[in-house]
Amino acid sequence: MNVARKLACAVVVAVCAVSLAANWLAPEGYAKQFRETPNAPPSHQHWLGTDDVGRDRFARVLYGTRISLLLAPAAALISTALAVLVGGLAGYLGGIWLRLARGFTDLFLSLPWLFLLITVRALLPLNVSPMVSVLITFFVLGVLGWAASARVLSTSADGLRNSDFILQARASGLHGPRLFFVHVLPNLKPVLYAQFWISIPVFILSEANLGILGLGVAEPMPSWGSLLRELEGLISFREEPWKLAPLLLLIVVMTSFQLLLSNEEVTA
Amino acid sequence: MKTIGRRACLQIAFCFVFFSLVLTADSALAQSGGELRFCLRSEPKTFDPLLVDEDASLSIRYLTGGVLVRVNRHSQELEPELAESWTISKDGRQITFKLRHGILFSDGSPFSAEDVAFTMQRLMDPALHSSTGDSFRSGSGAVSTKIVAPDEIAIIFPAPIAGVDRLFDQVAIMSAHSPKKEAAVLGPFMVAEYKAGSSVLLQRNPNYWKKDSKGRRLPYLDSIRLDIQPNRDVEMLRFKRGELDLINTLDSDYFDRLASSSPGLAHDAGATLDSDFMWFNQVASAPIPEYKRAWFASGNFRRAISQAINRDDLARVVFGGHAQPAIGPVSTSNKFWFNSKLKVEPYRPDAALERLKADGFHLQNGVLFDKSGNAVEFSIVTNAGSKPRERMAVMVQEDLGKLGIKVNVVTLDFPSLIERISQKFNYEAAMLGFRNVDLDPNGQMNIWLSSAEDHAWNPQQKSPATAWEAEIDRLMRAQASSVDPKKRKESFDRVQEIVAEQAPFIYLVNPNALSAVAASVEGANPGILSPQTFWNAERLTVNGTTRASR
Amino acid sequence: MAVFDSDRMPGLLSAQITVRYAGKAPVLRGLSLEIARGEVVGLVGQSGSGKSTLALAILGLLGRQRAIVEGSILFQGVDLLSLRERELRNLRGRALSLVLQSPLASLNPALRIRTQLREAWRAHCNDDATTEDCDQAIESALRSVSLPSSEQDRDFLKKRAAQLSVGQAQRVLIAMAILHRPALLIADEATSALDVITQAEILELFARLNREIGMSILYISHDLPSVAGLCQRTAILHEGQIVECGATEQIFTAPAHEYTQRLMAALPQLPARREAFAAKAKATAVE
Repeated sequence: MNVARKLACAVVVAVCAVSLAANWLAPEGYAKQFRETPNAPPSHQHWLGTDDVGRDRFARVLYGTRISLLLAPAAALISTALAVLVGGLAGYLGGIWLRLARGFTDLFLSLPWLFLLITVRALLPLNVSPMVSVLITFFVLGVLGWAASARVLSTSADGLRNSDFILQARASGLHGPRLFFVHVLPNLKPVLYAQFWISIPVFILSEANLGILGLGVAEPMPSWGSLLRELEGLISFREEPWKLAPLLLLIVVMTSFQLLLSNEEVTA
Repeated sequence: MKTIGRRACLQIAFCFVFFSLVLTADSALAQSGGELRFCLRSEPKTFDPLLVDEDASLSIRYLTGGVLVRVNRHSQELEPELAESWTISKDGRQITFKLRHGILFSDGSPFSAEDVAFTMQRLMDPALHSSTGDSFRSGSGAVSTKIVAPDEIAIIFPAPIAGVDRLFDQVAIMSAHSPKKEAAVLGPFMVAEYKAGSSVLLQRNPNYWKKDSKGRRLPYLDSIRLDIQPNRDVEMLRFKRGELDLINTLDSDYFDRLASSSPGLAHDAGATLDSDFMWFNQVASAPIPEYKRAWFASGNFRRAISQAINRDDLARVVFGGHAQPAIGPVSTSNKFWFNSKLKVEPYRPDAALERLKADGFHLQNGVLFDKSGNAVEFSIVTNAGSKPRERMAVMVQEDLGKLGIKVNVVTLDFPSLIERISQKFNYEAAMLGFRNVDLDPNGQMNIWLSSAEDHAWNPQQKSPATAWEAEIDRLMRAQASSVDPKKRKESFDRVQEIVAEQAPFIYLVNPNALSAVAASVEGANPGILSPQTFWNAERLTVNGTTRASR
Repeated sequence: MAVFDSDRMPGLLSAQITVRYAGKAPVLRGLSLEIARGEVVGLVGQSGSGKSTLALAILGLLGRQRAIVEGSILFQGVDLLSLRERELRNLRGRALSLVLQSPLASLNPALRIRTQLREAWRAHCNDDATTEDCDQAIESALRSVSLPSSEQDRDFLKKRAAQLSVGQAQRVLIAMAILHRPALLIADEATSALDVITQAEILELFARLNREIGMSILYISHDLPSVAGLCQRTAILHEGQIVECGATEQIFTAPAHEYTQRLMAALPQLPARREAFAAKAKATAVE
């Protein structure tokens, strides 16, 4: 284990531990409004200052980390699995299936999602608790986010289909799902990992944007997405550098994960 | 005609050269006032003063158009301009203007009653679809004009219009004969150059009739450069660099930042006429549970919610203090129409709880239940992208949470929100704002009449659903049909009282008018009425040396 | 001179096929090939002469490339062309197996050797077979190809393709191919990518397997010396047809067809070596 990896490991463990300990570290909770001190700079009482309505930013970051770190990867998992099903399988089957899947994927990518999401919002009830809204949001992201990954996967799988080792496997009498899952899928792993890791920050940011359609994480619940929205229109980072904390955390955590997992891939 | 033709531009430029040569001889009087620069936030859609219906065109009309009477943006009084005086007939159907003599359009053509008649006829032409003209359409039948003398004109309406004289503030007089059509203006400035998507250059109108107290010709400024710039960050940056002299309206965030870096430049003119408020859905056919409809229909429930909201906190936290807790439909800034007997609903959660208990509500383990045992929970929809409103919703959520009420805040894109509140009625509570440009209550008829489309809590009723709505209908109609300002005020005062009692709209805040004026600009006196910073543009000067040193 | 007589040796494979791709001239035109049980047959031809097409056609793996196969391929008395995919699958890897040209590319880079061997074994094992059965089969196959068994090198089976030498990889592939003791092994240019020494070792391995298991081999190659060294009978493929087929010695010493003559003429003109080939071929035939 090299130094970078040790460090990454430490970061991930620390972030997870701290966010799990949010109840003790930030006993006031993420929703309490300290109305006497909105937009406060960092202080002994509020380590990262307070937000627009005086909520403790540190508490919000902790709880937001909990939510985003759990649900964004979950959504990425859903979308990657769907991408494998559509893109990977079609690339492996080739021929008409590949053409069909590519057509479907392109169609899916070109749909006017804004309007469809507005329809989705219209179908959902208005009175949902913030926790349910969070789950719905990330589920929607996961279900809708597969298309771009599927495209990449279909190309990779298409290349594999004609490779010698797949021919060899077929000549050994292997076939069907077993051939796909045992022989094709492991070779798509690097692409899968890449798609998975790209999806996570994309979903975290998309979640913030879904808020505009009334689909995001509902107030007062924090998420990395809603914390990053604070950065909109931030004119000078030099004046309020602590507002960058969520962004910094996002970058550090994502980098650490990537370091950890890419190394594991190589040594495994 | 949406844009000025190239030829027209050249002609204007030529005229300007011609007149400036004439004026140099008069240079002892014509002091050089420099160039004022600020931003339009969108492309002006038209230069035709009668077709104006958005902010950018409105600004240009204000600076270039000559009007018969003008509402002083500071005193809110009506003042004579092209008309020396005016009278309104007793039945309220006729207004007669006595016009000033010796006034020329910017192209040199003389101004007379004929031009007023021409303007009114064109304005009321149904084919023109002028929104300015709509406010004069009081009843069925045409608006007619009668030229009594070259300097006197009567305008006759099919039905009386309350406060009709003030409406002429919006009517820029056009020339009946000038070949330059709308390019011939009576205001202090005229359009010299328009680069689509980039800028509009206004030059001083050499024929402008007004003089200051020392006999100097107005306007002082040589020119105004209006850059078309929708991005507020860029606008702020350019202001800070000294490339702009004014920012007409500022967000409280920007305001605070500017106030801390250069204190003298940020101006808070006090509460505007605009208001932010929330309301409950009282539509009988709305697809919401019966028991919730019963809550929302209860005046006690609405008043209790109103009492449980800490408006001082909203104004202080969300607007950084640059907003006033709202009292009702009329802002305290509206000097004449505000009912001064009314006070801000004080924040009293205990009193709110008492009210709720009177309606059979009870608290149990920190959760409020109604008399049938339903936990009190409702959603507030508001438009996404409005940060102040989103923040207010979160604060209201917290305030009501203290009463054991669970509030879900849902932000929606604007079209979806409008569809919910005006067509499908599938919402429970909504938070929105009104932009009020009109001091006169007639501008609010579309809200208060129970048959009106914008009667948001229960629009387009065939007959008023409640006695108090019927009373509001009666009072609003009474004030609209009377010409006596006193009687009108009495009626509208009563409307304000009923609204305070029944709280169909729970008014939250009136945001302040925030603006920025560079130190190089002399004579500025930002107000709450649009155009906040340049309402007295004809008397502004820009000091070039101050600007250079910035 | 002994010429193998198909009347005496029981026939294993008898192919009469024409293969074409949609809209193009046929790749194989009425090709006719017979392989007897236990026989090693060389198939010689230039690149692009249709050698690999024949190999894939026998295995029924051409379908995906939109090829049209006409004629018949009788294998153990059954026409392979009339079989359904399921039945074909049942033969592939069990009765018919394939070894390809580039050993490293033919091993799945993502899988350990053990996994690949297990997969190949599982494709045709009985439902009640256990992991031990599987590992035993693998051990025995590894021994057959002279690869370290798990007792000798515990880590060998945990390796992946990238950690093997080319020779090792080819042995693994051969081990995989003989897991189920197939009746016919098709080696498609199986030694072409190997260095001379490794090539010799693999050829020897093929010869030994042929002897020990009695497995027929269709040895496809453009490399005449290796064919001369291994095969009892040789078929010359030219422009989609077998132009000449006979005992290896006869082909090398007295080529009848003009193309075969040219092929032979293209061999290095060292008399000693030619004689050596001829002698070797004779020896093989007598064996």
